[in-house]
Amino acid sequence: MVDVALKPRAGRGRGTTTRPRARRGFGRKVLPLVPAVALLIVFLAGPIGYSLYGSLTNTALTGYKAANPDFIGFDNYTELFASPDFWKSVWLTVLFVGASAVIGQNVLGMLLALVSRSAAKPLRAVVGGLVVTAWVLPEIVAAFALYAFFSTDGTLNAVLGWFGIDETTWLISFPMFAVIVANIWRGTAFSMLVYNAALAEVPPEISEAAEIDGAGPVQRFFRITLPMIRRSISTNLMLTTLQTLGVFTLIWVMTGGGPGTNSSTLPVLAYQEAFKFSQVGYGTAIATVTLAVGAIFSIVYIKALKPEVD
Amino acid sequence: MSLVKNVTPAAEAVVAPTRRQRAALASPRRAPSRWISTAALVLIGVAFLVPLAWILLSAFDPAATVGIKIPEDATFDNFSSVFTVDQTLRPLWNSTVISLGTAVITVAVSVLAAYPLSRYQMRFRRSFLYGILFATCLPITAMMVPVYSLFVYLNLLDSVPGTIFFMAATSLPMAIWMTKNFMDSVPISLEEAAWVDGASAMRALVRIVLPLMRPGIAVVFIFVFTMAWGNFFVPFVLLYSPEHQPAAVAIFNFFGTYGSVAYGKLAAFSILYATPVLVLYLLVQKLSGGSFAMAGAVKG
Amino acid sequence: MRGKPALGILGVVALTALAGCSDDGSSSGDDASGGATTVKVAYQKTTAFHQLDDMLQKAKTEFEAAHKGITIDLQPIEAEQDQYFTKLALMNGSDKTAPDVIYEDTFQIRSDAAAGYLLPIDEYLGKWEDWGQFYENAKQAGLGDDGKTYGVSMGTDTRALFYNKDIFAKAGLPADWQPKSWDDVLAAARAVKEKVPDVTPLNVYAGKAAGEATTMQGFEMLLYGTADTLYDTDQSKWVVGSQGFKDSLGFLETIYKDKLAPPLDQALDASIGSRVSTELLPQGKLAIALDGSWLPGGWISGENAWPEWDKTMGFAKMPTQNGDAPGATSMSGGWTLAVGSHAKNPQAAFDFITTALNKENTFKYDTENSQIAVRKDVAEDPAYTAYNPSFEFFSSLVDVTHFRPATPDYSQISSNIQVAAEAMATGQQSPEDAAKAYDTAVKGIVGDDKTTTG
Repeated sequence: MVDVALKPRAGRGRGTTTRPRARRGFGRKVLPLVPAVALLIVFLAGPIGYSLYGSLTNTALTGYKAANPDFIGFDNYTELFASPDFWKSVWLTVLFVGASAVIGQNVLGMLLALVSRSAAKPLRAVVGGLVVTAWVLPEIVAAFALYAFFSTDGTLNAVLGWFGIDETTWLISFPMFAVIVANIWRGTAFSMLVYNAALAEVPPEISEAAEIDGAGPVQRFFRITLPMIRRSISTNLMLTTLQTLGVFTLIWVMTGGGPGTNSSTLPVLAYQEAFKFSQVGYGTAIATVTLAVGAIFSIVYIKALKPEVD
Repeated sequence: MSLVKNVTPAAEAVVAPTRRQRAALASPRRAPSRWISTAALVLIGVAFLVPLAWILLSAFDPAATVGIKIPEDATFDNFSSVFTVDQTLRPLWNSTVISLGTAVITVAVSVLAAYPLSRYQMRFRRSFLYGILFATCLPITAMMVPVYSLFVYLNLLDSVPGTIFFMAATSLPMAIWMTKNFMDSVPISLEEAAWVDGASAMRALVRIVLPLMRPGIAVVFIFVFTMAWGNFFVPFVLLYSPEHQPAAVAIFNFFGTYGSVAYGKLAAFSILYATPVLVLYLLVQKLSGGSFAMAGAVKG
Repeated sequence: MRGKPALGILGVVALTALAGCSDDGSSSGDDASGGATTVKVAYQKTTAFHQLDDMLQKAKTEFEAAHKGITIDLQPIEAEQDQYFTKLALMNGSDKTAPDVIYEDTFQIRSDAAAGYLLPIDEYLGKWEDWGQFYENAKQAGLGDDGKTYGVSMGTDTRALFYNKDIFAKAGLPADWQPKSWDDVLAAARAVKEKVPDVTPLNVYAGKAAGEATTMQGFEMLLYGTADTLYDTDQSKWVVGSQGFKDSLGFLETIYKDKLAPPLDQALDASIGSRVSTELLPQGKLAIALDGSWLPGGWISGENAWPEWDKTMGFAKMPTQNGDAPGATSMSGGWTLAVGSHAKNPQAAFDFITTALNKENTFKYDTENSQIAVRKDVAEDPAYTAYNPSFEFFSSLVDVTHFRPATPDYSQISSNIQVAAEAMATGQQSPEDAAKAYDTAVKGIVGDDKTTTG
């Protein structure tokens, strides 16, 4: 349901009436913002600031460094950037985000939105309902369901068994495949809903005119529909990317980041370094890097799409 | 899908064209493409159904395993055995407290903040809104490690109110954004009349604007509630004592200690835990009515 | 008028919530009014490990009856061991959430004492008449780096090979099996694999999720049977680059590569420890297990009782690598009850420990959980030795046993051993590469000057 400005330029019920000049400016304009600003500073800016600071210390969860951490400058970052585990984790994160969000959720979501339009209404309702249910379910329940699905004695192997395909230990041999499919299963509804809405806004006359000119359905989709909804696409790509970047629970429950570090994306790696290996400072550095990546994406998105804010 | 789209009665003018378009699009298609669409949809539908069906079937199967199968004798045993205070009731109650608290605070603070942002010209307004938008996009879950350190510093570990405030703060950017957009759709002329009568801004907000945007507030409320209800990572790191832990953490503990043997109970617990948000989602559908684009997916 | 009360309510809710922020700490520690005290006890509980919970429930009842006004708040942490340590460490991070009494593994004591989480209890122990009943090595186990005592030992343990005689008979192996070297162990496992194919031949823990079990029941049972060691006590330095380290990893690599060990989806799961004791061994799905002396405790009584265990299971000492003297090896650890440094009423916390670990309750716990007693009056009680036929065997291992390095860095280094072990199980690294990665990690933790080449 994370939806910011999918229709940044959607019409408003309110006309262009100029806003009233406040009579008592501060009390009216600023005071109501105070609770929001206070909460945001303490609980949002606070952790971010702490993240920057904590990543410059060698705070540990136990041992002498838990009682008396030292300020060690950028040592955590130097160590991090020299660590093969970190770069592996970066790659796994890119793979996870790219395959499950950018490609998986978007393509499947678009496909669903498109085929739904020409399918029978009851079928569309049922399939749409299933896809949305997977999305509305609490993340941890979704994670259990897919853990069971990919387990060695689970449903996937049973189904493949009907076709004479041997058992595979999916969660061990192909952990990234399993969590990527899981994230597609869980998150596609969002893209589907976005594209449903976007396609509904495309005036059918244009497409019909192209059809009369002899353009096939594929041509029409790529030449007409796609360019018309490109704004929705880029917004959706951005939002799914950022949501997927922060996914922890799904991976944690299904594979615990393993085997080894074979499915440890950055959030999982940060948790493990900080809370399993007791290196809170080092784990904080990983969190800071993840946050920076998110921030960059976020800025690119705002700059590129210039969502209307007023 | 756009939640920002107007859902108030005052917004009929905007909604109407959308409906017309949809009607036009529902025109019949040619048969072959329809057949392919149907096949694709059925296939995708089955893929989405299987894990969901596993939960449902296992919950009624006393001998459930990780594989999907029809229970030989379906019973409510799994439900009755997990339906105890320690196992499910207290965690579900905790989830309710945390989610309600988060949603109430978020909505109250958002409404207050959205009002000046929606109604007044202010110098810092644009940058504030861009800041909000920026914060909306940050992957907050990636930073539970520093959040833990901050909570140590603030002495808020294992504190339910502390957790509620943190969750409220993380949902605020989104909620302010949504609330402001809902508020924008309420015509300002009605308040202007009130101002002329000498009513204060707060009075105008409470008496005129809020009643008109009730469905929108409900959507924001349910949205925040659902996010809080499903959140596992935040309480997992911040809440420790069993009497504070919400269902998300309790179910994870259950999975960790009994999971390998008691899949049926795990599934039953999952259903108890997931049902409230599924019901709320249907409520959002109803509240936001036909103008709510999401409805298309479920109602067809 | 409709809206006004609504906003008022919102405001009130927000205010009460804000106020609630500051006074939520009442759940732990004492309550100033009336001198009522709550002692918060944090400990581990799982399906396979309920004996401690049973004992503490009993102690709580007794203690509360004897001490009016003091409430024992039992807070079981329902998690496998590795998660338990994490959760405990997180709770210790803040004085508000830190428990008053902690179920603490001996290897964590030095580390947590150094972190300032534990309270030295020498002064209380001096006044406890039972303290004289504890063996000297059990007292040692509770020491911190500063020589002060931080924990009261509940019992100790040893480790050895468990084998299923029924499976051995099918595989043509002797009923009184005693391997002389690692090769003998491997040979037996291979015989099982060949003759009884539907059974897992041998379990040696090698997953990160199994936590300390992988380090201690697994890796260290191997390493301490080689010519090398983990830590050079004389120099106070960690040993890196030793042949024994690589050979031990090599053993793990062999059993996982040759499919003598459990399949990885079992081996790498956090529940592997519970499954070995409650499923795999009792159901005859595992032939040989390198595991701890406490296992029979769960088979004698409780939910997972297995009356035939005594007839079915055999015990063998873990041999040294090539049969070198003393021919066998073992590892000993144990758990303690410790007082948290932030305890509001340390005397009450300590008093609860003396109730929980008095003779009667120690007897209950040590028998039900198959602990090797460290209280003289329990160890010498004929009812204790008669309770469990495996006691004699496991106590005899005390002659060849080893203890883990007693340094605050051990717990972090142990985590890195688990990483290396898991790399063997998954085949992601060669023993040489994994040993090299371990060496780098150790140097990072303790510094180059605290390591020595083996």
